[in-house]
Amino acid sequence: MSLLAIDNVSKTYGRTRALKGASLTVARGEVHALMGENGAGKSTLIKILAGVVAPDTMEMTVDGRPVALRGAQDAFDLGFRFIHQELNVVAHLSVAENMAMGKPCPRRFGVAVDWPALNAQAHAALDRLGVGHIDPRTKIGRLSAGDQMLVSIAGALSATGEGARLFVMDEPTASLTGDECDKLFAVIETLKSEGASVLYVSHRMNEVMAICDTVTVYRDGRHVATKPVSETGKDQIIRFMTGRDVADAFPPRTTPVGERVVCRVDDVSTEVLCGIDFALREGEILGIGGLANAGQSELLQMLLGLGTRRSGRVEIASAPGLADPSDPWTHGVAYVPRERRREGLMLARPITDNVVLPHLTALSRAGTIAHRRRERALTAEMGGVVRLKSDGLAQPVYQLSGGNQQKVVFARAVGAAPRLLLLDEPTRGVDVGAKFDIYTLIRELSGQGCSVVLTSSELTELIGLCDRILILLDGRQSEIVATDGLTSADLLGRFYDEAHGGHAAA
Amino acid sequence: MAVITLFRRYGTLIGFFAIIGFFAWQLPDTFVTPRNLINVSQQISMLAVVAFTMTIVMVMGDFDLSVGSMASLAGVVAAVLFAQGFPVWAGVAAALAVGLVGGLANGFLVSIIGILPFVATLGTLTILSGVAFVVSDGRTIFGRDIPSAFSGFARSGISLEPVGLAGLSLPWLTVIALIVLFIVWFVLEQTIYGRRLYAIGGNREAAKLAGVKVKRLRMSAFALTGLGAAIAGLMYASRVASANPTQGSGLMLDAIAAVFVGMTMSEEGEPRVLATLVGVLILGILDNGLTQMAVDSYVREILVGGIVVAAVAFSSLSKQTR
Amino acid sequence: MFRPIATMAAGALALAFAMAGPALAQSVAVITPYLAQPGTQFYVDGFTAEAEAKGWDVNVVDTAGDVAAVISRIEDAVTQSVDAIVINVDPAQVEAGLQSAADAGIPVVGMDAGSHPLLATNVTSNGYAMAAETAVYVANRIGGEGRVVMFVFDAFPPVQIRGVIADAVFANHPDIEVIDRITPDVQDGGIADSRARMEALLAANPEAGSIDAVWAAWDQPALGALQAIEDAGRADEGIVIVGMDANPQARDAIAAGGNFEASMAQDFVGIGARAADAVERLVNGEELRQSVIYVPTKLITAANVDEQ
Repeated sequence: MSLLAIDNVSKTYGRTRALKGASLTVARGEVHALMGENGAGKSTLIKILAGVVAPDTMEMTVDGRPVALRGAQDAFDLGFRFIHQELNVVAHLSVAENMAMGKPCPRRFGVAVDWPALNAQAHAALDRLGVGHIDPRTKIGRLSAGDQMLVSIAGALSATGEGARLFVMDEPTASLTGDECDKLFAVIETLKSEGASVLYVSHRMNEVMAICDTVTVYRDGRHVATKPVSETGKDQIIRFMTGRDVADAFPPRTTPVGERVVCRVDDVSTEVLCGIDFALREGEILGIGGLANAGQSELLQMLLGLGTRRSGRVEIASAPGLADPSDPWTHGVAYVPRERRREGLMLARPITDNVVLPHLTALSRAGTIAHRRRERALTAEMGGVVRLKSDGLAQPVYQLSGGNQQKVVFARAVGAAPRLLLLDEPTRGVDVGAKFDIYTLIRELSGQGCSVVLTSSELTELIGLCDRILILLDGRQSEIVATDGLTSADLLGRFYDEAHGGHAAA
Repeated sequence: MAVITLFRRYGTLIGFFAIIGFFAWQLPDTFVTPRNLINVSQQISMLAVVAFTMTIVMVMGDFDLSVGSMASLAGVVAAVLFAQGFPVWAGVAAALAVGLVGGLANGFLVSIIGILPFVATLGTLTILSGVAFVVSDGRTIFGRDIPSAFSGFARSGISLEPVGLAGLSLPWLTVIALIVLFIVWFVLEQTIYGRRLYAIGGNREAAKLAGVKVKRLRMSAFALTGLGAAIAGLMYASRVASANPTQGSGLMLDAIAAVFVGMTMSEEGEPRVLATLVGVLILGILDNGLTQMAVDSYVREILVGGIVVAAVAFSSLSKQTR
Repeated sequence: MFRPIATMAAGALALAFAMAGPALAQSVAVITPYLAQPGTQFYVDGFTAEAEAKGWDVNVVDTAGDVAAVISRIEDAVTQSVDAIVINVDPAQVEAGLQSAADAGIPVVGMDAGSHPLLATNVTSNGYAMAAETAVYVANRIGGEGRVVMFVFDAFPPVQIRGVIADAVFANHPDIEVIDRITPDVQDGGIADSRARMEALLAANPEAGSIDAVWAAWDQPALGALQAIEDAGRADEGIVIVGMDANPQARDAIAAGGNFEASMAQDFVGIGARAADAVERLVNGEELRQSVIYVPTKLITAANVDEQ
């Protein structure tokens, strides 16, 4: 018998119909993947299950009995536990305090917190996840993003003893390294063997193939297919998701890299980076590779003029080093930040305002008065370039799907025909279709002579898209490799060990 | 469904017209008359100027608690100079300069030093109030010390004879409020400066990374708010033909309330200066109408506070159910 | 579903209307920025008691310290065509409102407000007479000769006139010497600084009998001087202290029978009641010749301090 069966779920936000009579059935003790492009309705479904969004219609049974879900407490009582993609931690509290949040806390004399017991509880839960080395007393803000995610997961898992039956994991591996992912997968196996079910939402096809039993695909708010993983394959799932065949390939380079140097970095060191040294030519695409948090984002921000350089020189578009984050845009440099919601978008404001923000002066009358018609024209044009889908340019950005939000950030970046484009994880949390659009766009810009520096945690993306890859080992530039003939395994090896550089060159 | 959407979107505006309609019905002979409406416009002019310029910082998600003390200080500075025989223009210029400098100081604390606006402007509120006491020696400056050219300003205006309203004139205080309204509207809605302020309010980090000079803009916005407070302080001093170190203190909370009421009129809860005008009008009309209906002052305060809370509560409730 | 602001506002206003009551022929607006202050409450209570006895409809408006709002509310009352307006604020500051009332022919009466050409009359206590009474009390108690300390505040006109009168009374006694004329810092109400100034003066005049009396233009300095004298252990030298206004703390000190011997009580309730009389005369079409109407004051000593 199924643990959870829902049917006929619909939800409308304003004019957007996020779910249109979708269904989902999760069996006991299975790991069930939920896939779909951004905007397919996965996030809305998760919010409905968590009790934080009320559906317009829904029929739901748990253990075959119809149940109503009126709020987050109901979801908790039904044994649903949630692990969210976005980190949800209080940075200045300890690991143990973060894990205990929202749960009954061990006490002494009824009032005082029993710290030893609290820390012991936390340690046990962390140990179970294979990360017993994390001290429960550490302030969580000091941990890496990956470790923070593992702590959040451990916190949710430690609730198992209190009747947890279904774990909903939304992109749990987004900020984990390969090693950390393996630890999580081991825990998922344990949960499964204990009889709990897991609803696993991810864009990462390989993970789904490796750890899931069943896969359900949504498209445009509707259920498309549910199949045992063993009876389907990557290509078929992508077809279900997109409704069409998408080549799992990167658009090839069609124009040669130019000769002129657009950006020259001479032996730059900062607090995080060391010995960064490269010259970027017109139309060239340079990837920044390395393990998680090796300094990739910091390198892009250094190029933007953020942070303090300890030594070295940066010359961009024949202007001397940028000192202020407002300079790059006036020097033909555009930037797509890593966290689009936190660093990129004004969510409550219209698409137009988001796109034109860095270009206001260029579009204005006499450098002072806003020229709305030109602003709308630019937004419409750039929206077309990035293949943005919306209900009109006045629509607030929060109403868009993740992929379309990313396209808004891209539309802003390409708005003034940049000569140097800095992209921090440009396809993070973006679905397959939007990903391909973004790849095509990067190629087009490069073909028009725009140089690109991009970071990515996907090896295939670095190899498929970039001409060369600068490898960072803990902030230090170890080498720059050409991507011709480079394999994922080779590249990954270079992330771990400096010696590999010599090996590949031999 | 459609009716609910209508109320959600225009609830405050409907409430505003309901209040006008109610007074027009209860006070048929005295409320909707040219003279009374002109009176109201003059009565709210000082609050309006503070609220309009307060909108500038609130657009960025900041606010300024020091406007009341700033208004008092500006009035006192001008009056002290008048008492020492300086001409009217000198006193007015000095008061405006004090407003600008005080506003810049707020902006410096908030944007360069990085103190929360609540704490920084609470501090300057106290400092400015203390300075106003020191400058004035704690006294009310009035009578012969105030030149009649200055106090006469608030009692005169543009004659409305040509438009058929014999014996009435549009008070200068109202004219100033209208000019400030136009300038703030133009700056916020029509210039790229205003667009950038809204961007800072939308997401400060994103605005910075998109090339907006956040620190400089925040500082300048606080300076404009300080200048507005000083203008209102001068208007107040002219109207009461005197200045004392506490007379502007009532303006701050009313101005913030007016902006909040206005914010309920925007779908995304953003401050808009024309919406602030509606907020100011609601407060001013309630005072005027309820006085005419001889409602007890304290009951009036309860009503005004209740209506502000109700407007904001309704607006956030309708956002939660969205 | 119908629960928007519009409904609430309409409901609230309907409530307000219900409380407003019907408009009578004689309606009077009392407008003050200072209703929270105790003295003002007595004036207003005295006025409303008298007005209710006359069957008038009185609307008391408090602008909570906002003087410009007093002008606004006067304008509103004029619009509403009340029969008379009573204010309790410096008329020079609300001249714009007085002008609009004058234009509409509505009489305005001041309660302890100050004189002004646009006020029909101002009802108040006679500050000259009050100061003369306490100064003469001091002069008589010390037998027309001795050393006197004065506490004054010339920056505030109503208090300044008290000082002038006391100066004249003491100057008329050749054997009375004013050894210091102190203006205390009043930021904290005046007690603390007056006490400090008195302590310094006592230290400078250590011999018993070197100070004979303290005359204070209001009660707070008198109380400060009393504390200084008692703490210096010189309470038995017979230094005579007088204050003015007879506030509760001063009455306690007088009742205790120590150095603090006398103060002047204003008849606040009486001021309110006489203001009501003035309004009645004005509404009946009478022209008031007196621009100021004085209400008698009373010297408070240990003998009558317990009377109310």
